Amino acid sequence: MAEDLVLDTAIRDWVLIPLSVVMVLIGVLRYFVSKLMRSFQVPDPKIVKEGQVIVRARNLRAAANFIPPKSFRSRRVYFSNEENGLLFVPKGQAQNAQAQMFSDPNMAMDMMKKNLSMIIPQTLTFAWVNFFFSGFVAAKIPFPLTQRFRSMLQNGIDLSTVDVSYVSSRSWYFLNLFGLRGLFSLILGEENATDDTQRMMQMSGFGFDPSKSLSAEKDGLDIVQHEWALHNSQLCFSRADVGFHKQGKEASLAPSNVPQQVQASGLDSIGPRNETSFANTYAYAMLI
Amino acid sequence: MVSKTEETQLNRLENQVDNGGGGAWEYLCLARKLKVRRPEKVLKYGLSILNDSKKRSALGPEEWTLYEQVAIAAMDCQCLDVAKDCIKVLRKKFPESKRVGRLEGMLLEAKGLWGEAEKAYSSLSEDNPLDQVIHKRRVAMAKAQGNISAAIEWLNKYLEIFMADHDAWRELAEIYVSLQMYKQAAFCYEELILSQPTVPLYHLAYADVLYTLGGLENLQTAKKYYASTIDLTGGKNTRALLGICLCTSAIGQVSKGRNKEDKESPELQSLAAKALEKDYKERADDKHGLLTCVLRSLKI
Repeated sequence: MAEDLVLDTAIRDWVLIPLSVVMVLIGVLRYFVSKLMRSFQVPDPKIVKEGQVIVRARNLRAAANFIPPKSFRSRRVYFSNEENGLLFVPKGQAQNAQAQMFSDPNMAMDMMKKNLSMIIPQTLTFAWVNFFFSGFVAAKIPFPLTQRFRSMLQNGIDLSTVDVSYVSSRSWYFLNLFGLRGLFSLILGEENATDDTQRMMQMSGFGFDPSKSLSAEKDGLDIVQHEWALHNSQLCFSRADVGFHKQGKEASLAPSNVPQQVQASGLDSIGPRNETSFANTYAYAMLI
Repeated sequence: MVSKTEETQLNRLENQVDNGGGGAWEYLCLARKLKVRRPEKVLKYGLSILNDSKKRSALGPEEWTLYEQVAIAAMDCQCLDVAKDCIKVLRKKFPESKRVGRLEGMLLEAKGLWGEAEKAYSSLSEDNPLDQVIHKRRVAMAKAQGNISAAIEWLNKYLEIFMADHDAWRELAEIYVSLQMYKQAAFCYEELILSQPTVPLYHLAYADVLYTLGGLENLQTAKKYYASTIDLTGGKNTRALLGICLCTSAIGQVSKGRNKEDKESPELQSLAAKALEKDYKERADDKHGLLTCVLRSLKI
């Protein structure tokens, strides 16, 4: 049956809008409460070091072609050799990470706090919606739906002939739950505790498992084939230089800040930086 | 490393404030974000904001970060009473803060009281072993006292934990070069190139170190890195052009007895020489004579 039901505007005034307002207010309240309850977590030195090792290994993998092959090989050995390589994690330790996460009291407390702050308001609001706002049609969804959604969206309505597009207020609640995230990031700034969906996704994939990422980096590093990009740099140079000739006037721009920026302190033994003391370079050139 | 656009923006703001056009607060925020070192300007404009109670209250909670910034700038300019006042205000507001403790340590450093500063830093780092700033202050203190080997030791300890900090690698490389420990310096420059492969500075410095180390293999590698510097800067780097000429002639000298592998070396050197001559003619015509003498002597 596809007849149109006319919904009372009072539903809009007394159901849809108050529900949204209440959810926004609860979100703001949760944000401030979480700010108050945020405990300062001392970062574990081991975890920090592992994070840095991973960054360094990743850099090595990414820019491997820019350093001479000998230094690349020595670095690779440094990272992945069997005895004391930085990325090498013996099998026994690999399993411990998860168990450690559970047994570490601080981390467990932190996770529990975060979960609670998310679960309790959700549960309460859901119960409130069910209690007060059930048993009637709240809204009509603008696009047609199949019969399968009936059990999900029309929970309080016990008529099986009503078109599935007419939904109960529970579905409005869910819509708000997922949709207000954008609104919260506008009002509360980027970092807010109301990112439920993100947190729910995080809960399924268990947090920071250092040993896995280390072994992943190690495998990646083992795979890399070193091909020295600078082998042909001289060809590139001659190409660039031809361009330099052609440019003529444009090349006489202010000496690209390159020479000046390098600190003068250390490298004086090799020869001064600016062309004004060219004579010194000349003298040095005579010495070699 | 500050990018070109950010630098021009900073200079523009500085000019604007210098000529009385307002915008001091934006200038200070930008200086703080980019971590550039302009102590006199920061001190002047920061104090002008802080001494004006209306402007100060307009800042709200940012007032305290401004106090910190001005305190550091004052220590840089050796206006130690200004620094002490700022720190006192901060200490009154945040009595148990480690950040203020750090500032007090820095004040002791600025006064030259190394022993007490060391004590303050060690007590702070006991509470918070992962504070990067305290580690860096220790290195700076050792360097200021002239104790370079202690500076190297501290820096190495720092890098064992925070090995992705490229500024620290750069500092270490410069210290090694100043001590003429070129092999270690080469390692540090390699780290820098790995983390930021498109910055021509590091290629240039690495090439310099390799050239100084000498030996046929190093000279050839140095030549390649000079070439890559020129590639990255579009042919404008005079130092790299000179480097190529010097490298080629040095390689020629070293491999005099053995069979020379010509490849494109003469072409490369002549190209570099031509580019150099053109550059000098345009920019420093009076030195052009010197250049021709040198190039002639290099083509042995």
